[in-house]
Amino acid sequence: MSQQVSVRIDGELCTAAEGQTIYEVAQANGRSIPALCHMEGLSSAGACRLCLVEVAGIGRLLPACTTPVNTGMSVTTESENLAHHRVMALELLFVERNHICSVCVSNGHCELQALAQKLGVTHVRYPYNYPRLSVDTSHPRFVLDHNRCILCSRCVRVCDEIEGAHVWDIAARGINSMLVSDLDRPWGESENCTSCGKCVQACPTGALVEKGRAVEEMTKRNVVVTTLAAKRDAHP
Amino acid sequence: MTRIRDLSTFNAVRSAGLAKLQPARPRIAVGMGTCGTGNGSEGVYAALADAIAQRGLDVHLVRTGCFGFCAEEPLVNVWIPGQPLVILHRVQTDHVNQILDALATKTVPERLALCKIEEWDHITAQLHYGSGFPNIPTWNEVPFFRGQKKIVLRNCGLINPDDIEEYIAIGGYQSLYKVLIDKTPELVNEQIKISRLRGRGGAGFLTGLKWEFLRKATADHKYVICNADEGDPGAYMNRNEIEGDPHSLIEGMAIGGYITGADQGIIYVRAEYPLAVHRLRVALGQARESGVLGEDILGRGFKFDIDLVEGAGAFVCGEETALISSLEGRSGRPRPRPPFPAQKGLWGYPTNINNVETWFNIAPIVAKGPSWFSETGSVASAGTKVFSLVGKVKNTGLVEMPFGTPLSSFVYDAGSGSMRGHPVKAVQTGGPSGGCIPHELFDTPVDYESLGKLGSIMGSGGMVVMDDDNCMVDVARYFVEFTRSESCGKCTPCRVGLDKALRTLTRITKGEGREEDLAELNELGRMIRDTALCGLGQTAPNSILTTLRHFNDEFEDHIKAKRCRAGVCQDLALSPCENSCPLHMNIPRFLQLYKEGRLADAFESVIMDNPLPASTGRVCQHPCDDRCRRQTVDEAVNMREVHRVIADAILLSDRFDEMVDRILAKRRPPTGKTIAVAGAGPTGLTAGFYLALLGHDVTIFDSHAEAGGMLRFALPEYRLPKAVLDREIEIIRRLGVKFVFNTRIGADVALNDLDAKYDAVFLSIGTWKEGWVYLSGTELTGVTPALPFLEAEAEAKPVKLGDRVVIIGGGNAAIDSARTVIRRGAAATVIYRRERKDMPAIQEEVDAAEQEGVRFRFLAAPHRIVGEQGDVKAIEVVKTRLGEFDSSGRRRPIETDEVHIIPCTSVILAVGESVDTDFSRASGLRIKESAMLEVDRYTLATSRDKFFAGGDLISGASNLSNAMGFGKKAARNIDQFLTRESRFDDVMPSFVYDQTAPAETSPCRRHHAHELPAAIRAKTFQEAAAALLPEEAYEESCRCLRCDIRETAGAGAHR
Repeated sequence: MSQQVSVRIDGELCTAAEGQTIYEVAQANGRSIPALCHMEGLSSAGACRLCLVEVAGIGRLLPACTTPVNTGMSVTTESENLAHHRVMALELLFVERNHICSVCVSNGHCELQALAQKLGVTHVRYPYNYPRLSVDTSHPRFVLDHNRCILCSRCVRVCDEIEGAHVWDIAARGINSMLVSDLDRPWGESENCTSCGKCVQACPTGALVEKGRAVEEMTKRNVVVTTLAAKRDAHP
Repeated sequence: MTRIRDLSTFNAVRSAGLAKLQPARPRIAVGMGTCGTGNGSEGVYAALADAIAQRGLDVHLVRTGCFGFCAEEPLVNVWIPGQPLVILHRVQTDHVNQILDALATKTVPERLALCKIEEWDHITAQLHYGSGFPNIPTWNEVPFFRGQKKIVLRNCGLINPDDIEEYIAIGGYQSLYKVLIDKTPELVNEQIKISRLRGRGGAGFLTGLKWEFLRKATADHKYVICNADEGDPGAYMNRNEIEGDPHSLIEGMAIGGYITGADQGIIYVRAEYPLAVHRLRVALGQARESGVLGEDILGRGFKFDIDLVEGAGAFVCGEETALISSLEGRSGRPRPRPPFPAQKGLWGYPTNINNVETWFNIAPIVAKGPSWFSETGSVASAGTKVFSLVGKVKNTGLVEMPFGTPLSSFVYDAGSGSMRGHPVKAVQTGGPSGGCIPHELFDTPVDYESLGKLGSIMGSGGMVVMDDDNCMVDVARYFVEFTRSESCGKCTPCRVGLDKALRTLTRITKGEGREEDLAELNELGRMIRDTALCGLGQTAPNSILTTLRHFNDEFEDHIKAKRCRAGVCQDLALSPCENSCPLHMNIPRFLQLYKEGRLADAFESVIMDNPLPASTGRVCQHPCDDRCRRQTVDEAVNMREVHRVIADAILLSDRFDEMVDRILAKRRPPTGKTIAVAGAGPTGLTAGFYLALLGHDVTIFDSHAEAGGMLRFALPEYRLPKAVLDREIEIIRRLGVKFVFNTRIGADVALNDLDAKYDAVFLSIGTWKEGWVYLSGTELTGVTPALPFLEAEAEAKPVKLGDRVVIIGGGNAAIDSARTVIRRGAAATVIYRRERKDMPAIQEEVDAAEQEGVRFRFLAAPHRIVGEQGDVKAIEVVKTRLGEFDSSGRRRPIETDEVHIIPCTSVILAVGESVDTDFSRASGLRIKESAMLEVDRYTLATSRDKFFAGGDLISGASNLSNAMGFGKKAARNIDQFLTRESRFDDVMPSFVYDQTAPAETSPCRRHHAHELPAAIRAKTFQEAAAALLPEEAYEESCRCLRCDIRETAGAGAHR
């Protein structure tokens, strides 16, 4: 049995198990910290930087999804500064690629869109990049649309950690980073892909979707992934 | 190779090494770091080897690393037993015979000698070389090495890096041996902690503490890693350290391995450092053979080995978690900490990563103890740090300085000041993730905390010096371009934020910036800094944030005025000469028109850019020369003189009226607006010319009886014949400009009256208030300020001088006064408190004055004027010496106790004239602390509506072209203010002329104006320098390289 620690989250005293992350403790205590790259059941990447929180006595912001709680820690999950940074991070994601909600199959079921609405992103202050990106329809059942990808790497991790196939990875670097299957082959030609569809269910946006869906029709059931992960943890 | 098993074998190896380091025969060591080989040391080594073989000499020839002074490579050490080690510099193959000839007589070629070393402290051992060669300075007397303390670089450039025996000879591996014998890893760890050694990779974490984490971690396997993935542009400390002394690294890591319980070391080195990789491979092989690596190290039962891994060259792999990821064969992307590598590192095992330089410090600390180490440096940062000093300084190379050394010591002592005499503007520390520190903050001590406070970082020790040729906006853009392309792309702020920042910065450098960009960049920079995942992203915005903080005006110039002062941003300038000209004359255009034989067009081009073309053609300070790219071929094009030829050819000919009519034809229809200009000097005349052309009704007021200001009353006839000036003013008069003379603004006509009568007022009053020095004796008869003196001369009402005149000052007024004095038949001595090269006067004028017999006393400041019955009898001057550099990039003169007396009959004070701003009292015009009028830098609007100001009034005493530049800018803005339209460029002419760059560079050398012989011109006020002949001017115009023509059609601003 792991040791219990007491932490304050937004002033509220919470009890947590040692080793739990700030994100998990906040979640357990009814506070949702915004996040896009984090997903229950997968390892944490700490990449989207939306879950950054303030911890008293520490000069910099810490990602809630990877920072373990310590006894006596006092965490602030919402502040003007955090809101400002989160909105900017979302805006940066919107300008990076072509997120055109009105024609997106995930419209209305998109985590990026939902978060933007929740955090009050009404406009984007930067000019859009409008990159020319391809759509990979080579897989018989699924589609990869780079235009909607936010490089959260949930698909990479779910395929590697839950399915064990490691079809996905991120190639190149910086602004040129791109999701690739196998060694940058069309998805349909992937030898490792088991067509399990976990990546599709894990994808927060309309980047990985099922074929045959029209605008607004793609709903994701990521509970599939989290249930699997939980069951696996229970029977290691 | 002997395997060391015990003390006796250890000592045997040591003796063998000493016999190589200080053999019984002469030893020659050639510096063969990358910097040396890049400068040709391979050839020198081969030539030496051949010549030694040929002559059959008994000389020990070896390779060594770099001694640090990379700019002076190839460095060659020559040691003759019993004598000091002499370091020769810039040695080339043709010096080889000289060196060997000298060797035969047991000397060295002293002309090639950089310095000598009589004794050397290798820290782990001391070597005595011998004494002698009194004419050669000791190493630390050479400015570059002054103040340096070599702990990390203790062996570099002295021992043969490819020979472990030489390393052992100077106490190498003794620290390891000691640690293995004492068997007290906790104690040594504690000592490292006490020494306050901090990680040299940039973050500055306490090394001892980091080791403790690893030592306390329990696992069946632990790693220590050396981070040699040095990727900062302009930084190469680690490369040279490894190339010069690889065993220091190996020993440090072996000690670290023993103390922390690690059994495996890994050196992660850039593949781009082939020589360092090679030296390491050799060193590791020898270390294993000698028994200092592998099983049973030094016979003490410790097992430890080191692997070498070549990194593929990603900047982000310098981040420790990314480095581990890369070592594991995955792409180099960092991951959040915790878990820290000491908990979960390479392959999940506890791991410690330190920078090359950190490892280099270990053996000395073990050998000499922690208190010895912490004696050096500042309180929070002990020891020394190696910096690669590069950029616009005279001396470049590796500088190892104690922490806490002020930044100015790097730039001015080690670096010996700026490379081209331009003022140093900033230093960028810490590589691309560092920040720029402006000149005003050069007294900052260099340590982790002080640099951090300024928004910069220590980084791994890059130090790039920048002068006024560097555009800070472009610097920010360059570094962001680098970090953007090196961003791994994992986290949003760094991946997308840097891309956005680069786009905005690029837009600004292209002249497409918007005013809100600056606030946006600042906000974005802070967001990236505060939210990025790893050190790369968190520090990447430093270059943006520090340049925005310290060089905001340069950003504003790019955005509001679309100008780049440094002339770096090509889209904002037509050519370097145009950019440097305060009037922004289209210089390539008039040169080309003249070359095409189109004199009238050339004249039109010139006069429309510059309404006083013949005057400027004679007396302009010609900043264009300094920027001319022809200097890379031979000398700058003599643009000023061609422009004089063009102006004179029309102004002084019978084509004058015809050309005036051509200009008058350009005049816009009357606007009905009236403008008052205060001051008929160059600023006021220029403004009047353009405003009249634009159709306004202009009246110029002046306190003198004639127009011209300083041009007429301060410039002697021999520099500017007044007949020339009269012709130029005639054109302005014919344009319809009215003059009101003998009228002082404020005294004879009130500002409120001007306000009531005119639609706009332009104030351009000159610096007629004489400079005052607080000097005893200035009340004596015979003491005259320079301007009244020159004015009286111009009005032919000469001042009584006597036969010996002393002039105080170093500006143009001082030189003009001195040359006038000479022409009046008296002896002239100029005293100036700095050196000749620091004089603000035009260099040619100083030379001409000297030829005419003016005497100069530099480094002398006036102390007291001695009188006799109310008349000047002599002046006492105190000798000065040069101290620290000031913001002008010149050394500040400091008075000494040495006083000289110069007998003289009169003294002319040519110091610091200023503008009499009494008129502006209680007028609503704000005066700044510097006693100058406050204006908007871009529109020249004052704090009072309708009032604009320019020239000396807002800049302080300056020069002709600057003054005219203000007039031109004022005209543009006053016209815009009055008409609410942008019409200025409409009156500017355009020409169709050849737009192909010359296929071949003209072979002609620069033509100079024809000066009369000094003996003749010293006796007359006749013009001292005659214009170029037409054919010379033609050749001169052919010398232009046409920088205004760009490869891509349509690029470049057309003005």
